[in-house]
Amino acid sequence: MDELFAPPAYEWQRISPAYRSLRRLTTLVFPPLLFSVPAVAVGVLTGLWWISAVLWGIAAVVMIIRLVLINRSWRSWGYVEREDDLYITHGVLFRSLVAVPYGRMQLVEVESGPLERAFGLATVSLKTASPETGATIPGLPPAEAARLRDRLTALGEAQASGL
Amino acid sequence: MSQTAGRSQDVEQPEVVPGAPEVKKTERPHPLTPFIRSWIVFVAILIALVREVLNDVGRQGLDPAHLGLATLTSGVAAIAGAAVLIAGIAGFVSWYFTRFVIDEEELRVETGVIFKTSKKMSFERLQSVDIIQPLAARIFGLAELRLEAGATDASIKLRYLRRDRAARLREYLLARAHGQVARVDDAYLPASALTDLTAADRPLVRVTPQRLVGGFLLSTEWLVPACIAVVILITTAALGVVAFAVGGLLPLLVGLASLVSRRLIGMFNFTVTESIRGGAGGSSPPESTQSRGLRITRGLTNLVSQSVPVSRIQGVRICQPLLWRPLGWYRVDVDIVGYSRTSSENNESHATSVLLPVADESEVELAVGRVLPEFDLDGIELHRVPARARWLRWYDFWTLRYGWNEHAIMTEHGWLNHTRDVVPHAKTQSVRIVQGPLQRALRLAGVHIDTAKGPVNAVARHLDTRAARELAMTQLDRARAARIADRSRLAAFQANVGGLPGADTAGGSEGVVPPGADAAGGSGGVVPPGADTARLLADFGTDRDRLLGGGGESEVFAIDDVRVLRLYRRPHSDTDQTVNQLRSLYDGWAGVDIGLELPRILEVDRRDGRLFTIDWRFSGLGLSNWLRNADAAERRTALTSFLDATERLRKLPSPMAGFARLVGQEAPRQFGSFGELMHNMLAGPTRESRVRLEHDLPNVAQIWDRLHADLAERQVSPALVHGDACPSNAYVSLLPGGPTITGVGDFSPHTVNGDPVMDVAGAVIFLELEPYVDAAADSAWLCGLATERWGADISHWIAVYRRFYGFYFSNAYDFDPGLYAWCLRQLTSENPPGISRR
Repeated sequence: MDELFAPPAYEWQRISPAYRSLRRLTTLVFPPLLFSVPAVAVGVLTGLWWISAVLWGIAAVVMIIRLVLINRSWRSWGYVEREDDLYITHGVLFRSLVAVPYGRMQLVEVESGPLERAFGLATVSLKTASPETGATIPGLPPAEAARLRDRLTALGEAQASGL
Repeated sequence: MSQTAGRSQDVEQPEVVPGAPEVKKTERPHPLTPFIRSWIVFVAILIALVREVLNDVGRQGLDPAHLGLATLTSGVAAIAGAAVLIAGIAGFVSWYFTRFVIDEEELRVETGVIFKTSKKMSFERLQSVDIIQPLAARIFGLAELRLEAGATDASIKLRYLRRDRAARLREYLLARAHGQVARVDDAYLPASALTDLTAADRPLVRVTPQRLVGGFLLSTEWLVPACIAVVILITTAALGVVAFAVGGLLPLLVGLASLVSRRLIGMFNFTVTESIRGGAGGSSPPESTQSRGLRITRGLTNLVSQSVPVSRIQGVRICQPLLWRPLGWYRVDVDIVGYSRTSSENNESHATSVLLPVADESEVELAVGRVLPEFDLDGIELHRVPARARWLRWYDFWTLRYGWNEHAIMTEHGWLNHTRDVVPHAKTQSVRIVQGPLQRALRLAGVHIDTAKGPVNAVARHLDTRAARELAMTQLDRARAARIADRSRLAAFQANVGGLPGADTAGGSEGVVPPGADAAGGSGGVVPPGADTARLLADFGTDRDRLLGGGGESEVFAIDDVRVLRLYRRPHSDTDQTVNQLRSLYDGWAGVDIGLELPRILEVDRRDGRLFTIDWRFSGLGLSNWLRNADAAERRTALTSFLDATERLRKLPSPMAGFARLVGQEAPRQFGSFGELMHNMLAGPTRESRVRLEHDLPNVAQIWDRLHADLAERQVSPALVHGDACPSNAYVSLLPGGPTITGVGDFSPHTVNGDPVMDVAGAVIFLELEPYVDAAADSAWLCGLATERWGADISHWIAVYRRFYGFYFSNAYDFDPGLYAWCLRQLTSENPPGISRR
């Protein structure tokens, strides 16, 4: 990771390795499902099975690309709690680093869908007054997510400032 | 006075029988309202129909056979008629059940047929008062009054009132919102029906129709689609296939028409005024005049008059389409927090984010100077981006710039529509660095300065990576510094307000110092460290450097190793009373040994009109300050000792028997039962915060009832309770056996004869409010420790007292939003985190 996205004076906290397994599963399940429905429909209705084959081919390519990138994408996530702000970085092709001052957080949410729960994961997202902030940390163990939420809420209140 | 039957009304007036009828006169909006609302629906349907038919024509071509006009019209007329009828009935019902009161006491609107809602707003929280007059309403001399409070609240709409009534109410509400004394029947200046301006309004900028039309015709957003339309027309005409082009042209024309309506008709007669009013309708001498902020009036058919809440402006965008450049015209938009919520941006009948649709340089300077005072935008030194950015932005790389000064950051881009975005540092929500794959190859990156929703979008595009990194990091520092400066300004302002005699809280809440306020130390001193304070301090052989701490009421200075000087901030008659009560309370504890140092007042006197006392000095360090720097193991030893200390406080002898308040304005006063004491303690704070609580927590009445039901179950014999057992009132000494609590001080009006568990609960609960990082975790741990010691029952009572303190400190909403938010959390917590974690 180059200097542009390095954390200031700290080490990145990494997300849970189980996140990779979750992503692998969703990649193996959803693209084939998504492409199979139109593929089968086209095949059955028109008899042009070669179109279905092309669709399945695309699905396979999408799956392979995503599977290859999962490890890098997992490694790209990181967050650091600093004295006054939280830093989050992620992205493989399009990289980003967002810094959210604690005083600006309006809401800290912990979400965990059924799939995430099965893998023992939770997602923490921070809301500020700006819709563009988009500060989300996926793939956290629930205990860490709860700790992060409690800490961020406490810090957010201690430093809260009006709009 | 019954606690179990405590309805929400009891919060305000415990004497009133619950459910007693309101005798206040309410009024309905104007009876023509349903008619006008159904008319507006009719027009909307008509417009939608025309658009639909036009699009249809676009798709099908102009073949009349396809249209089947006869069947279409009859069917559509039936549907439209039904819709209008339904809208009319709905309008009538909603009109019939809408009632409002605006008088000297309150602003309340009641709506709803089955689910009645009653919205009450405090005058001080009003952010803007807008008058909107759609054409149909305008014809009948009616207007809609729209009131907005916080950013998250829905607005209150009063549709429709007589125009002069609406103007009069606006006058009154604006005066009250600015804290002036006013009455609803005060004389007011009639507003013009054409422009909604009164004689006292001073137009700051007025956009003439010529300039508005000229600017519009030369604007990029008009010219580009217009040129495309013309080109399509000409080429198809030359080829003789106009009919085929209609499909593409019509949507374009509809778009252009809506542009005309938004930018021309909606912005017609655009005037920015500074509303300046005297005490009584502007007729008083100029020295008594007061600004009520900026107001925008605009519109040809629909007349809109909206206030611009300057403090809520989050950013400014100044742009200049290419053809405006020779004329020196600009357009200014602003982000106003909460305004862009209306999805139909810049709709004629809604609040707009446009500050100036077309204006020359001097007008821009004037208006921007009013919303961002002393920002000196021209003084910002702008940096260019590296030349290699041309590979990505070949069309405008030379226009990309960014820069900042001590107040704001500014970014620039574009030549077809040259745009400058300005964001004050204090309004920065977050900072992002973003880099795509191509940018990475060119060592470029973009920095986004995120602001609240709206047109402003400050992005420094395609910076050198090193510059991007530096810009982002330094911007965070600047934003932090600006936020801190903002906060201290606010604190100073509130301290000033607090220093006014009579501005103090009433009743049992007198002298309520939230635990958080003590931690703030002497930073926002009410009494400025003036010359006489310095002299007074010198007389006792101390000075400002020896400040030990202070809360809302007093500051404490070290005199020597055994004595401190406590200087009270306000010359208040009941402060004397409080101090004397405390003195006799402390005197009664002389010789009592509960293993803790207790406060002792040696001398009470006043000098230069300032009340002061000389107290014993505690030997330990302030626990609150010490906690911040202690490591986890030490902290927990100290907190264990703190819990023990709060448990021992109950052994202190009390000057009175039974349940009683011991200190403060209402003291000494005895109560027949524990419940009555608790109710009395809550009555003062909740009298102030009731409206706010009802607004923020719809089910507050249930929470109130539940708390009283819980408290009614408490079987306890009275004992002394400190009432504010927070770390800033405890003293820790570093003994060989580890850090130990050796003293508890600062007894106050919170001190009562009550439930001794309250202090143990307070120790757990208030710890959360300490500003150090692991405070919440420590609090949860301490709760666990208490449960170990005294059984699971205690965690139930801690949860009950959480809600008690949630109400008790809820009047913090106007001086400590953080504490208020904490209160709300206590009130809504079913299973407080401290318990669930056990």
